[in-house]
Amino acid sequence: MRFRRIWMSLVSLLGCIVPLLGQDSLSVRGALDDTLMLRNSTVTARSREQKLREGAFAVGALNIRLQASTLQSLTQAIDRTAGIRIREEGGVGSEFDLSINGMSGNSIRYFLDGMPLDAKGTGMTLANLPVNIIDRVEIYKGVIPASFGSDALGGAVNIITNRRNRNYLDFSYGFGSFHTHKADFNAQYTGKKTGIILKPVISASYSKNNYIMRDVKVRNEEHTAFVIKDLPRFHDDYLSLFGQLEAGVADRSWADAFFVSASVAMIDKDIQTGATQDHVIGMAERHSRAVNVAARYEKADFLTEGLQLLATVSQTWDHSQTIDTTYRRYYWDGTYIDGSYSEIRGRGKTWRHYRRPLTVVRANLNYRFAEGHDLALNYLLNRAGNRQEDAWDTEFEPTSDMLAKHIISLSYDQSLLGGRLNNAFFVKDFVNHLKIGQRELPSTTGADKVTGSDTQNYLGGGVGSRYLFLDELAVKGSYEHSIRLPISREVLGNGSTIYANVALKPEISENFNLGLFGTFDLGGGHTISYEANGFVRLVDNYIRATVLETESMMQYVNVDAVHIKGVDGEIRYDWAGKLHIAANASYDDSRDMRKYTQSGDLSVTYRNRTPNRPWAYANTEVSYTFHQVGLRDSRLRLSCDYQWVHWFYLTWEAFGSAGTKSKVPSQHITNASLLYSWRGGRYNLSLECTNLLNALAFDNYRLQKPGRAFFLKFRLFL
Amino acid sequence: MKKMLAILTVAMVSMMMLAISCEKPEPEPEPEPEPVVKDYNFDLFVCAVKHGGMSKNKNGTYVRSVPALTADQPRVEFTGKGIDITEDYTLESITRGKYYYQVPQRATGGFVKFHIERNAAGEERIVEDAEVPFKDNVYSARKYTHAWIGDSTSLVIVGTADKATKIIWSKLSESNLAVQSEGTFDISLPEGYSSFSTAGLLTYRKSDKKLYYFYLTKAAEGMVDAATSVTHIAVIDPATMKVESDTAVPAGVMEETAGSAYGELMQSMIMYDEADNMYVAGMITLNDQEMGILRRIPAGSKTFDASWNGFPNPEGKLLTIQYLGNGRALCYSRDESLGTKIDSKSHFYSIINLANGSRERVKYNGTDLQYCGGRFSQRSVVVNGKAYIGVGGEVEGEAEATYPTIYIYDCKTGTVEKGVELSKGFCFDIIRAMDAQ
Repeated sequence: MRFRRIWMSLVSLLGCIVPLLGQDSLSVRGALDDTLMLRNSTVTARSREQKLREGAFAVGALNIRLQASTLQSLTQAIDRTAGIRIREEGGVGSEFDLSINGMSGNSIRYFLDGMPLDAKGTGMTLANLPVNIIDRVEIYKGVIPASFGSDALGGAVNIITNRRNRNYLDFSYGFGSFHTHKADFNAQYTGKKTGIILKPVISASYSKNNYIMRDVKVRNEEHTAFVIKDLPRFHDDYLSLFGQLEAGVADRSWADAFFVSASVAMIDKDIQTGATQDHVIGMAERHSRAVNVAARYEKADFLTEGLQLLATVSQTWDHSQTIDTTYRRYYWDGTYIDGSYSEIRGRGKTWRHYRRPLTVVRANLNYRFAEGHDLALNYLLNRAGNRQEDAWDTEFEPTSDMLAKHIISLSYDQSLLGGRLNNAFFVKDFVNHLKIGQRELPSTTGADKVTGSDTQNYLGGGVGSRYLFLDELAVKGSYEHSIRLPISREVLGNGSTIYANVALKPEISENFNLGLFGTFDLGGGHTISYEANGFVRLVDNYIRATVLETESMMQYVNVDAVHIKGVDGEIRYDWAGKLHIAANASYDDSRDMRKYTQSGDLSVTYRNRTPNRPWAYANTEVSYTFHQVGLRDSRLRLSCDYQWVHWFYLTWEAFGSAGTKSKVPSQHITNASLLYSWRGGRYNLSLECTNLLNALAFDNYRLQKPGRAFFLKFRLFL
Repeated sequence: MKKMLAILTVAMVSMMMLAISCEKPEPEPEPEPEPVVKDYNFDLFVCAVKHGGMSKNKNGTYVRSVPALTADQPRVEFTGKGIDITEDYTLESITRGKYYYQVPQRATGGFVKFHIERNAAGEERIVEDAEVPFKDNVYSARKYTHAWIGDSTSLVIVGTADKATKIIWSKLSESNLAVQSEGTFDISLPEGYSSFSTAGLLTYRKSDKKLYYFYLTKAAEGMVDAATSVTHIAVIDPATMKVESDTAVPAGVMEETAGSAYGELMQSMIMYDEADNMYVAGMITLNDQEMGILRRIPAGSKTFDASWNGFPNPEGKLLTIQYLGNGRALCYSRDESLGTKIDSKSHFYSIINLANGSRERVKYNGTDLQYCGGRFSQRSVVVNGKAYIGVGGEVEGEAEATYPTIYIYDCKTGTVEKGVELSKGFCFDIIRAMDAQ
């Protein structure tokens, strides 16, 4: 009920704001200009993506602006990219795991305009970031440019927001199956006298996620036996609110851009299941609140000609809570037994508070000392606190720890032979500073080896090169000796179920990429472009969670890890901007390379395929755009896509007979959408059907995804 | 005189009768009844990477069901063979006849009964025979103890609730798992103690037709030092499930029973001899170190005989006990000096002479069976007059050369022969003997 009230208030608020802004600040002429600009920027953005793909690194680039009128969330678009797989646990707002060329979890880093996405709050993810504010997404596979100052191991996702030069207003509202509602509002207004630019963003999404769970076990009326039924989810409400105001100036003598921003993020999430859907939860909840303030400064020819400075600073106060204070055992029909253990942890009742202040400072100095030769120095500070307390469990002792990372990188980019040959070289220095308050179980946590604080230094680096033989054929290769520093949860534990391991070493990987790409212009508006990539990831000191002998206690430890080899490829056909066909496929082979277990025994899983991960998947997409259909300056775009994921074993594939093994079944998902835009894209109406054939789909073992769903979205762009 | 003659006559006759009776040849001693040889299948459980038990091993748990464990059998392989039970069932289980009974890993909110079936090609599969929801009392996978009562048509499950501050029980029908009755024991925490043991140990003694429930009162939930716990023995009438007596065990006798968290779902900690004396494995603190102890409740008594200890001078914790007959028991224990982790190669098998508490390592060809890992393992089973003893394959420095092996101890003669091998690299955790029919 509370969600519904908040939701109604928000929709009313947006209803008031939109006409106000539309009347007071934007003229029809301006709107028309923006329309033209949208068209123009379509071309510009596309070439930008092409340019990125043609760079020295292995990159996937997505134009989101073109899809924003139909998309519900960013994950939908990214999931269709070659080499990328997103595994979702359920409906709107559910947990997800993104893998890039076989590596996932903490190995992947996320950025919003180059800043760590965490800075917007731990609850803000690709799944709930407002789509309308995004221009494009860059997905770096394995080798990551030094400019990010990142310690990612498997790749990075950088989300680029819109940077328009004039006033605009962008509002959308959509609703669909499972009581899903989404509203996004963003705008830009430049004060005529002051030149101060204001950029407000408000986004809200709500869903009951009450999709049907098929073939679930519930008790019969007498509660003496199980019966199988199809029943809706009943405790999966999700509400996400995000608001941001950015204010600043551009094109001044002292700054190309200077902006300060403040944002608030709020997420309320009911929890419906445990690790599998057999474990039904009916009361536990998670709440997350985050406040962020940030400042950004950009200046070309800073101090001297050719020197460009980009500096950002950000402070976040993040507070999340997990409420697990009920002893109940639920069934899918919503009935329950008063049980003996809490719903999530299966132990005593807890109301855990996590306070994670985060400070990020980033500075990039780029110096072009000759045409085609750029030298860049980057610095990133990422300081995360971790305080925990429990409002229910009086026996829980609050903890407070801190982890700071300093990453300094130097890169040199060169463009030779008239741009046919591009090279990039970079080195990175990682400094990890740890300050620990906890002294419990020093021999287990390694606290006896670390006296209060500890600083470690690691070096990484890499090279990337691209040679353009013809438009139809180019080759590129890259290599990085990459480092991923442990995150606070891995080093410091969580104060309850995970022991600290302050002696944890960073993950190290040797990442290799080799790719071919090109474009054939067949004339008559027919173009075919392609790209094919091979990759190798040799990961050592892999940070893996292990279960200790004390029941339910875990600890992250370093182990020899995995070697991943694979290929992915994509082919795209376009005819005059009307017919678009694309297909991609990905395959990787990930092997466990631990020869001996921690106790020195031979590991039976040595050289076995890593379990519980998709290793073969493909996507195809067809779209056709009709112009001038009915209304003036209109277009109608029909599209359909199909996603296939090969089934995979939950456990090691070599052991046990095939018929007895738990599998995550193959997925065959078809989606279709219709977009009608008129008045040059000023008005947009889309209807989307996901999982058109209502296929039973699972990304994770026994965690059913939604069935067929419809979503109607209206977007106004002035 | 007549009187004297009469007495003399009676005496002579009596003497003659006695003489005659003494001359009568001694009757042939009754031959010891041959143990009934039943037809068993042996279910062998292994885990990948780490030993299982007590924790949810996500690296995989696999089971093979084989008709024999003798050396002439082919090596037991798990590559492409056997059942992967990782996500559905727990390693810990109640067994009887050919059936398994448990609160499954998959957490559907009830009890399940199943058996393992093998087709003509030797391929195994699990067949579920019954699954019923909990009634009012809720149990977590692995966190309960059990006993069979009466003529084994009923199964009693005991666990704890509300942060281990209440002890709950349920009585189930063996055939279809229907919950016959449920309740909470009238046992409360004494002053100064905050929780009971997670499950405790439940056993049914046939001679007095009583349930014995061994539980701990602890100063805090979870693992605590044994010295801070108190062991209690509750005697329960299985018909009414009323607690008839509840006695605290003096710390000097036993501080904690073994296996207080998961009963005997995996490891055997209670055994009976022919006279129905009950033996319980436990712990006591010696020189600031928790060590094993084996105590006895004599038949007819309801408390431990404090003067008797079947596990004197312990090297470490006593982990499992199994009665072999003739006053001997097989025990699995740990030498603390060689390591205390689950996978430490510090665990070994001995035969205890219950008459005097002496014990001797189990030997093959005059050499002690090797130390192995597996704190929560039950790699031994006693059936048909033989103890089948599994030994982990890893030998220090020879990890790639050795296979897990089963040794067969003849309870009558004490001889040990080598049995079947298992494929190497796995953590060998359980042998269960299941009725073949």
